Parts: sequence; C-alpha cells; structure tokens
Amino acid sequence: MTGAEIVLEALQREGVDLIFGYPGGANLPIYQQLPKYPKLRHVLVRHEQGATHMADGYARACGKPGVVFATSGPGALNTITGLATAYMDSVPMVAITGQQNTTLVGRDAFQESDVIGCSMPVTKHNYMLTRVEDIARVIHEAFHVATTGRPGPVLIDICKDVQQASCEPVWPTRVDLPGYRPAFTPDLSRVREAAEALSRAERPVILAGHGVILSGGQEELCALAERSVTPTGTTLLGVGAFPVRHPLSLHMTGFMGTGWNLKAVQNADLLMMVGMRVDDRVTAKLSEWAPNVETFIHVDIDPSEMGKNVRPHMEVVADAKTALREMLPYVREPQPECRRPWLTQIDRWREEHPLKYTHSNGHLQPQDVMIEMYRRCDDDAIVVADVGQNQIWAALWWNYTRPGLFINSGGAGTMGFAFPAAIGAKFARPEKAVWCVAGEGGFVMTAQELSVAVKHKLDVKIVLLNNFSLGMVRQFQDDFYGGVRSEVDLTEMPDFVKLADAYGLPGLCVERMEDMRAAFDFAERTRGPVLIDFRIDPDANVYPIVPLGKGLNDFTELPDEYA
Amino acid sequence: MSTPSAEPLSSLRILTAVVEDHPGVLTRVAGMVRRRGFNIQGLSVGPTDEHGRSRMTLTVDAGHAEVDQVQKQLDRLIEVIEVEDLTESPRLSRELALVKLAVTGPERDRAVAEVDRFGGRVVDAGQTHVIVEVSGEFDRVERFLGLLRPYGIVELARSGPVAMSREVAVHEQ
Repeated sequence: MTGAEIVLEALQREGVDLIFGYPGGANLPIYQQLPKYPKLRHVLVRHEQGATHMADGYARACGKPGVVFATSGPGALNTITGLATAYMDSVPMVAITGQQNTTLVGRDAFQESDVIGCSMPVTKHNYMLTRVEDIARVIHEAFHVATTGRPGPVLIDICKDVQQASCEPVWPTRVDLPGYRPAFTPDLSRVREAAEALSRAERPVILAGHGVILSGGQEELCALAERSVTPTGTTLLGVGAFPVRHPLSLHMTGFMGTGWNLKAVQNADLLMMVGMRVDDRVTAKLSEWAPNVETFIHVDIDPSEMGKNVRPHMEVVADAKTALREMLPYVREPQPECRRPWLTQIDRWREEHPLKYTHSNGHLQPQDVMIEMYRRCDDDAIVVADVGQNQIWAALWWNYTRPGLFINSGGAGTMGFAFPAAIGAKFARPEKAVWCVAGEGGFVMTAQELSVAVKHKLDVKIVLLNNFSLGMVRQFQDDFYGGVRSEVDLTEMPDFVKLADAYGLPGLCVERMEDMRAAFDFAERTRGPVLIDFRIDPDANVYPIVPLGKGLNDFTELPDEYA
Repeated sequence: MSTPSAEPLSSLRILTAVVEDHPGVLTRVAGMVRRRGFNIQGLSVGPTDEHGRSRMTLTVDAGHAEVDQVQKQLDRLIEVIEVEDLTESPRLSRELALVKLAVTGPERDRAVAEVDRFGGRVVDAGQTHVIVEVSGEFDRVERFLGLLRPYGIVELARSGPVAMSREVAVHEQ
C-alpha cells in the first residue's frame, strides 16, 4: 500500500467517517486516493481555520475526535488558531498536514513551513512522518493521545514522498508510549477525605468545569450535589454540566458570572473545583478570590492543574466522573438545619442580584432574542456561541439542562469560532436543531464557510447579534478605559441579507421586537441554513461584570434605572 | 486567600528527566520551559544505558510559577518518560569545565601547581596555551575558576550539571 492509502485505511480503522479538509500540493497523494474510500466523507471547507473549528464543533457535539486535512505551508499554518482553540478547551482532534518531500525539508522549499515547531505549543502532541513504515503506528497513537486522559488536538505532518512510498503496513493492536499515563485511579483516601470535608462544611460550593462534560459526569455531579446539599455552579465551559433550573444551581461563575454565584463563592468556607483550570476569568483578581474558603478541594484529570493557579488543600487526580462516583458513598447527608442558613442566604442573594437587562429603550435587546430562542428550542437545541458579548448572553439567558448543548471557545476566546463550529456540530448531530449565535465582528472572520452550509444544506440557523461595533471591547472601553472608543466601530459591514443571498441562503433583517417572532418562525420552517441579522441595541452591555483587575466582590450590575 | 502554607521553596529547581531519544525532544522541553515562563539555567543531555532513551539534567528557574509546576509540566510531555525533582532530595551533581589559559614560563608552572593542588588536571599543553579541566558541583567549579582568573582565562567551556539522586546525604568529597 502507498503511504496515502495507509493514512486513509488507518482513519477508517479508527472509526472516522468525516473529514474537514482542503487539498493542496503536499497532500495531493492522499486526496488522489480519497475517492477509493467512500466511507470517509469529506467536507471541502473554504479556509483551513474553518476546518479546524468544524472538527472542534463536531467533537464537542458528539464526543468523537474531529479530523482535519490541510496541505503544507499556509494551509497547515491556517490550522494553528483552530488547534489552539481545541487545545485550550481540551477537545480531541487529529489534524493531518502534508509536508514537502523529505529531501526538501529544511531548504525553504515552496510551501514549506515548520509546522511541527509552530504547532508544538498548541497541540497535545505532534508527529512528523519521514518513513512510510511509521504511518499506521503513528495514526493509532495520535487517536489514542487525542482521546484519552485530558483530550486535546494532535497534529501529524506527513512528507509528500512518504505519502507516495509503499510498504506493507503493520496495524498496531496496542500503543507503546512509556511516557504517557493518561488514566489515573483516584487515591481513595483522598476521595474519602474530600467527601468528609464536603459533608462537614457549613457553607460549601461546588464549581464544575468542562471536565465534567468531557467525562460525562453530569449525573454523578448532580447526585453528589444533592446528597451533600451543596450549591453548585459552573464555569463558562462547564455550562450545562449542572441544570440551571436545579434548586441548588448557582448558574455561571467568573468575572461575568451571576451575582448570587459570586456572592456564594466569596462567602463559601469550602470550595470544590471539579474538572476546571481555575483560570483568571474564573477568579478575577486571584488574591481576592474566595477569601473565606478554609478548604479548597480540586478534582482534575491533569496533575499539573493542581496548584497551577490555586493551591488546593485536597487533591483528587482523576477524571471528574470517576472521582465524583467514588466520592458519593463517603458523603454524609447533612442535617437539614445545618445547610438551611447557607441555602437561605443564597436564595436571598438570588433575589437581590437577579440577571437584569434593559427592557424599554425602543431598541431590540439581545437578551430578548435569547429568551425567544430558548422559548422555542427549550432544552433540545445546540447553541454554538462566538466570542464576546454574544457568548455571555447565550450562556446566561438560556437555562441549559444538559451538557453538550452549549458550545463556545471559552479558553482561547477565538472570534470566528461559532459558525464553522456550528457546521461541525450539525454534521455530528443532524437530528438536533443547531443555532449559531455570533456578533457581526466574529461572524465575518469565518463567514466564507457559508458555502459549506449551503452545499450540504445544513440546518444551521445563524442568529447575528449585530450591534455595529466590537461590543465587548466597546463595553470595556466605556467602563474601564475612560470611555475612549478606539477602533471598535463596525458600521461599515456588508448588508448581511445580501451577503446571505450572494451565498445562496435566505437572510432576514430584524430591527424591531415586533418582527422577531416572524423571523424565528421563518427560520424554523425553512430547511437549510438561514441567517437573521438582528440589529440590536448598540449600547447593550453584559452584566454583571467585574471591572478588569478587580476582585469578584466588585462585580457591577445593570443600574436599576436602566432595567 | 487562605491557601495552605508551605515552606518557601527556592524557585531554582534541579530536575532529571528520562526522555525518548527522538528528534525534537529537546525543542519540546525547551519550548515548554519558555512557554510556561520558566528559565533554563543549565541543561545537559546524553544517552542512557537503555537504547532509545536519553537523560536530561535541567536547572530551571520556575519564575512566578509554583515550583512543582516545572516537574508537572515536563511530565505532561508525551516523550518525557520519567521526571524527578532533585532539589529537595539527596543528590549527586557534577559539572565539567574546560579552561584555556594563555600562560608560559614560570607563570605556567605556578598555574599548573595551583590546578594540581585543587584536584584539576592539565589535559593539553601547547606552546602558548594550556587547557585544564575540573569536575565537581557548581560551587567547586566556581572556586576553581576564581583561582585561575588572575592568570587570564582565554576560553571556557562548561558542560552544565548532570545529576542523579542518591540514597542518603553522606558527606561529599
């Protein structure tokens, strides 16, 4: 078999049925063989960054690793942002890039770039293949590394002459990576210690991150929260790991989290952090974070997360699902009167600090759009948000009940993520309604992928929250940079209805609240992609918000006179 | 914030890592160290007795990071098989220095006598230069160089330390 055939055969053996890619000089041998493998469906993207976000959305929506093909040089370099996005959010992905011939590598040949060097900091691991005999083993290893332990993207760079060379492949049955130990059995004494501390605490809080979703541990989380009667919130990436409407729910934490969540975190005496990195967006000013906590418990699959940002008193190194399951039998149900003061206090904070938005200034409000969407989709649609205000509105104004329904680039914060990721999510879950929520700024960064949605008649509905500016940056400038609006004006944008028309999908523009429902009706009864350009209040802001550089105690809310 | 109080540890860590002998492993290690805001102060790499495995000895300044992050981040690399942080444990550490001195005549005799007394060795003697070597812990090499500086060091090559753990901290010669 040729190297190219081995690549495709190996992908089939890994259970791959969908590839997002773009051909070019250095991966021509693979593309030449591709028609012989009809089980490998290929989606021709319009830009390699789009391929990586599609693979990312695909992986987040169905749990299988996303697969990307790109050619050498610029093709491979265009995958870097998407790899970084997946890496930051621990998303399994395998990217296969073409490379110049082995004899030309290092000579600054045409479309040659050091993809291994470039992708090293944004992949879990990467490989350069210079021998055809290594292909079968390396592809098997790559899928193993991408999907086990803390998942992440793996890149394989394959020289063109290696794709053309031949050998009889030896299909690996096991993986031999002596330095890779992805599975951790939790230390039972630690598990017990943590469970007992949780039972003993007076004012405990659990925060759940992406790790709960990645490990499928939502039921265990719910059981643990209920048995220990512990108020539970999520990070932005953990949204969906705990039902928002659950009586113990604290909704979202962090510097744009809900007021009652932040109050609870700041007053808790025990904080259990599950499957999360405790990054700066969660803590805001670290030295002022959770000042009353006497016991930090950190549960994560990655030992390097222990003490990276916050030094825990108790560490449980294991995947979230396993750790929570092991913990459950050791949790004692507290006496109702023990928890009552804490729960009562949190209920009071929930009433004192509700989510608020401006209702009546004559403009269409983004929150109204989100509420209407939620009313229609209830708990069954996948929402893929971009980055910025739209992301926070989509996180806060839906009541997600299950994991996997809210997808966003929480770690890297990659603008332009949402639309291609929504395409990937739709490929992964064709039976689900998929909504892409994006600002106009992020949307145009990857809007060329509209052709992919049209070509495949994908039922992806694009909800553009168009405020004619880079809204989040504008809000920061208004609130934290003395009101100096610098380079945030986006009034010069295409007419999105015409843009949609040019790409061959229906587009609508909605400026008034009265027209919103009709637009949603149209989108829902139309098969295939639809774009709705919601012209929202240009001054709509995200609240609550913690001023940059401040601690969670300093969160600001929408002043009542604007609500 | 009430994080557990720990003994203040030096941000300078001495680690030894067994790695797979693949192209690019050094780049991976060095890249990780830079990316995490650490700084390499000393590094040596050589083969081990096992085929396909190399041993690295690193002296790394953890910078602003928690000191255990250096070991943990190294351990995350797929091709790093085993990492030990030797900073707080009994260990043996050796560095080799080659020193070229431009000395002739009686000055050379005096310099060579000093090298002998210290336990260094003359490894090359030419018409205009001698090359001497010493091995030992960092401080010993520093003392040796201090001794030779008055003679004028024209060239200096230091290997960086190699280290391994030992059973007990017996008196070191």
